Amino acid sequence: MTRPLAILFAWTMALGAALFLLAPLMVIAAASFSPTPVFDLPVGGASLRWYARIGQMDGFWPALSLSLQIAALSTALALALGTLAAIAIAQGRLPGAEAIGTFLVSPLMMPGLVLGIALLQYFRAMGFSAAWSALLLAHLVVTLPYVARTMIAGLSRFDFTLVEAARTLGCTYPGAILKVMVPALAPSFLTAGLFAFLASFDNYPVSIFLTDVRTKTLPIKMLQYIEEAPDPTLAALSTLILGATVILLVASDRLVGLHRMAGTGQ
Amino acid sequence: MSQEPIDAASHLVVRQASKRYGATTVLDRVDLAIRRGELVTLLGPSGCGKTTLLRLIAGLALPDAGTVAIAGRDVTRVPPHRRNVGVVFQNYALFPHLSVAGNVAFGLTVRRRPKADIARAVDKALALVHLDHLAARPISALSGGQQQRVALARALAVEPDVLLFDEALSALDRKLREEMQGEMRRILRDINATAIFVTHDQDEALTMSDRVAVMNGGRIEQLAEPRLIYQRPASLFTLNFVGLSTRISGTVVACDGGIVQVDTKVGRLAATGRFLAGSQVVVATRPEHLRPAAGATGNAVSGRVRAVVFQGSRSLVEVGAGGETLLAELPGQEAALLAPDAEIRLAWPVSETFAFPAPEMAA
Repeated sequence: MTRPLAILFAWTMALGAALFLLAPLMVIAAASFSPTPVFDLPVGGASLRWYARIGQMDGFWPALSLSLQIAALSTALALALGTLAAIAIAQGRLPGAEAIGTFLVSPLMMPGLVLGIALLQYFRAMGFSAAWSALLLAHLVVTLPYVARTMIAGLSRFDFTLVEAARTLGCTYPGAILKVMVPALAPSFLTAGLFAFLASFDNYPVSIFLTDVRTKTLPIKMLQYIEEAPDPTLAALSTLILGATVILLVASDRLVGLHRMAGTGQ
Repeated sequence: MSQEPIDAASHLVVRQASKRYGATTVLDRVDLAIRRGELVTLLGPSGCGKTTLLRLIAGLALPDAGTVAIAGRDVTRVPPHRRNVGVVFQNYALFPHLSVAGNVAFGLTVRRRPKADIARAVDKALALVHLDHLAARPISALSGGQQQRVALARALAVEPDVLLFDEALSALDRKLREEMQGEMRRILRDINATAIFVTHDQDEALTMSDRVAVMNGGRIEQLAEPRLIYQRPASLFTLNFVGLSTRISGTVVACDGGIVQVDTKVGRLAATGRFLAGSQVVVATRPEHLRPAAGATGNAVSGRVRAVVFQGSRSLVEVGAGGETLLAELPGQEAALLAPDAEIRLAWPVSETFAFPAPEMAA
């Protein structure tokens, strides 16, 4: 008697938690179709007018372009640097490899605000004032831990004899890395890249300290809109970003399996 | 110790190769010369340097001193991808993202051979290991024995000058391993491959190779045909490591014409060898030479049966005598008559008795 009850309770809790997590997203998606210029559920009919207005928002395209640039570049750099660092750590011949690994991942555990202020002070002290480059460097700090963590985990299961086998079969060392290690680690690369990209794209607390009037990332621009003109355009934009993220996740799932990306199984 | 002269006909020549890792000397001035088409096994316990020697030949490690030459070319400083060696690794190291055919084709694709040539070479290599029907399979769908064959086919496909096997059969279970030993020997014979096996398994070494190099402490103790390694071990280490033996310590009392007389706890024994009177030696023989005998010539020792180990057609009889242990291998029906604790007199010929310098007591 108690067992079915416990199962029922567990299911209720799981469903409740999922609903609690998803409800705001559903509300924002619904509100984006609202025909009226207030954040409201579309009761008297749906409209796509707010979607049409996204592109006309003041400074939207530069902000989107900046966010995409920074996210793509910081992800690419983090993938290269993080993978190289992970190779050194996973091969285990480096003294203090474990400590270095923990250190690389540590920005994940630090509040973004602290990181932002610290970087601002640091760049100031260095006399480094180019907003774009400062943003890129800061986002590298944000994305590197995601890459390092995923790649260290992926590489710890990688058999380095494969690289030796490729070398004896005629590959140079860099060639062996490209032809054998990169394909074998493709799922890890995809996971690392996806998390890094998303972490950079929606980063607010670090970016806010490093932007200037002309250089604003999309999340910062969006917060500014909501202060100036809170109409459902933002809801429409959020829904689009949400949709793009879902498409990205589904595509990755098709490629390597989402359970592997979440790290919940082989 | 018993190095053969390095002749011009040698296909692979390692000369005075040394390798240290930190304070440990892994290889200590090793010489090795192998003829074209010869199968040689590096046999020894773990840590004896056999894998390191193999890696030096493959180019995966560099010697601190000494040279490696393959097919008349000094390759000591040549990176592995320009050595044209084939390596079969202990865990096979097959590429998980490629199919069976993709793995076998890998070396040829890297060499940018024409597609038709690659396809032909892959077919040939897979046919050789009897896996032509599995070419399209993913690696994960293969059994251990099949993976082993793919690894061999992949190494063969590039037509290497030397094939190297690093404990390549040790991951297989016993029955499959014995099957693969026979099959591998047949394949390597067919293509007249020059091959080096690394193993710690003496049966594998004795059945598969033309010659065996017994390694210990970074040196080659003996390099000889399997029969000689077993019948005429050059050192106490080889005697111990390969096969079973009876070993009795004693002191040389006389030496005459290559025969020494040794005083032991079980009486005076004669053995082949040359030592000064007074030397501490170990007298040894193989178990199949010991026979129950009344008053035979040669060496003879009386003792009591301690145990009879049934081994199918033959039995191993352990005899205690004066604190020493004698091992005799007897036919099943002879051994069946022996009761535990029974008195027995064992005799064996002097020509099959060897004397080795006693190991230093300070360990």
